[in-house]
Amino acid sequence: MAPPGAEYTGAMRWPRLRQDVAIVTWPSFLVACVATMICFAFIDPVLVGNDDYPPPAFATRMSGYAIGFFFFWLISALSSLLTLYLARTARPEPPETDKPDDWTRSAP
Amino acid sequence: MTAPDATEDGGLYAARQKIYPREVAGRFQLLRVLTVWVLLGIYYVLPWIPWGGRQAVLFDLPARKFHIFALTLWPQDFYFLTWLLVIAALSLFFFTALAGRLFCGYACPQTVWTETFLWMERLAEGSRSRQMKLAKAPWTSEKILRKAAKHAMWIVFALWTGFTFVGYFTPITELAGKIASLSTGPWETFWVLFYGGATYVNAGFMREQVCKYMCPYARFQSAMFDRDTLIITYDERRGEPRGARKKGSDHKARGLGDCVDCTMCVQVCPTGIDIRKGLQYECIACAACIDACDEVMDKVGYPRGLIRYDTQSGLEGKRRHVVRPRTIVYASLLALLVTGFAVTLSVRNEVGVDVIRDRNALYRERSDGRIENVYNVKVLNKDRDAHEFRISATGVEGLEVDYVGPTVYVAPGAVQSVPVRIRVPRSALQGGTDLVVSIEAVGRPDLAASGKARFIAPTD
Repeated sequence: MAPPGAEYTGAMRWPRLRQDVAIVTWPSFLVACVATMICFAFIDPVLVGNDDYPPPAFATRMSGYAIGFFFFWLISALSSLLTLYLARTARPEPPETDKPDDWTRSAP
Repeated sequence: MTAPDATEDGGLYAARQKIYPREVAGRFQLLRVLTVWVLLGIYYVLPWIPWGGRQAVLFDLPARKFHIFALTLWPQDFYFLTWLLVIAALSLFFFTALAGRLFCGYACPQTVWTETFLWMERLAEGSRSRQMKLAKAPWTSEKILRKAAKHAMWIVFALWTGFTFVGYFTPITELAGKIASLSTGPWETFWVLFYGGATYVNAGFMREQVCKYMCPYARFQSAMFDRDTLIITYDERRGEPRGARKKGSDHKARGLGDCVDCTMCVQVCPTGIDIRKGLQYECIACAACIDACDEVMDKVGYPRGLIRYDTQSGLEGKRRHVVRPRTIVYASLLALLVTGFAVTLSVRNEVGVDVIRDRNALYRERSDGRIENVYNVKVLNKDRDAHEFRISATGVEGLEVDYVGPTVYVAPGAVQSVPVRIRVPRSALQGGTDLVVSIEAVGRPDLAASGKARFIAPTD
């Protein structure tokens, strides 16, 4: 057991790089899931480019869905990355009067 | 950062302080374990339930059909899915306004799988203090064995999770057979490994960091909070000033509050925060600290509830309001959406028709002086029984519908393409007009649908 009064800061932060990887890949993953769902609800992948020539874009529906999903993930990750880059390289805001972590302040 | 109980794990990208949540017992822990069993039980068992010759819940992506027990959803029914997502989101808002982060603490997959992985970790490495000792210990054969056992359990469980996940999209009994004979297709293998790997990394290594850095809900849930939202909170007025004391001594005489500063609430916290510092967005409201503190309060003979579920108003000694404009608005919106969903679903049309013009010719002038257009009519039968369909059209005086008839057979849950020729007298029409093409099942006038079709005729 820990000695009484031991300091638990609760500030066990991830290093910046790991945070960046997480906040680029994860939100884009969520968005890609939604985009895939919406896209393939309206488009049947085996009918994409399914004329005599050129050959169909996707061999099977499953590969169509998977390739579509990764395409959406890549595109939205690029957007997340640009947003993160712009946010990170902006001139710093003047310090806020409230504590940045004090999210309860928005409660009425 | 220099917490003495924290050791560094060889994490993915850089060292971080690993949190070893202390095991806890109590009513909320019981509730949480129960929820884990129910939710994971549903997740792992559901794909194995049969329903009339097929899997009860099967999102059959290759066939573009979603089976949910008696219900079959088609791509045309996509709005039901969207509607369901809106209902889910609104329920989240409603429960957040009522009782804070109930979802995070009890039902979020991240929490549920992390709980399970923590349990396996304890099985292999022992209690919290043993785990910490083991982490600092040199690499003896025992350490290697314990670590290997933990990872073996994690990997098996994660792979089973991935397999179950794919089992929602491909018939799971077939998938199990394919895995047993090592003949899974490339995408099946990939998705089993992808989802299994995600489970392993998320629940084994990333854990609370997901909530802290990756979860959007953790950030915007404050928008649903108000002074009457149930939160987990430390009663500062009662607890402070905190401090150690001898058992049975009169702490009030020494000017001490009820908090004995045992730090149990911090040790059990899966996100490693100190609830006594006030509400923090890292708090996933799992109530482990409530259980830990209640146990200590029982031991030292103080009343329970130094850390408890309460509202900000309640803490300030004011009245608590469960019914308030915010909850009324969320609840009525939710009721409206759920009712609408149920009604729409029950009156949903079981058949559909899609009329596509033949691309090769605009029109044909026949020797009998009539104009003919060719269409491809797709008859969709979403019903559970096969039906014979009749095709008809209206919109021009004297038109004639010609197809392989008199009826078209469509199997349950199938689409049948029917080439249809529609002829109208030359005198009836100049240019073009819109026709209405209808289908109706023989003997079932309720199974009917219609679609628009453009009819093109010469302009002279």
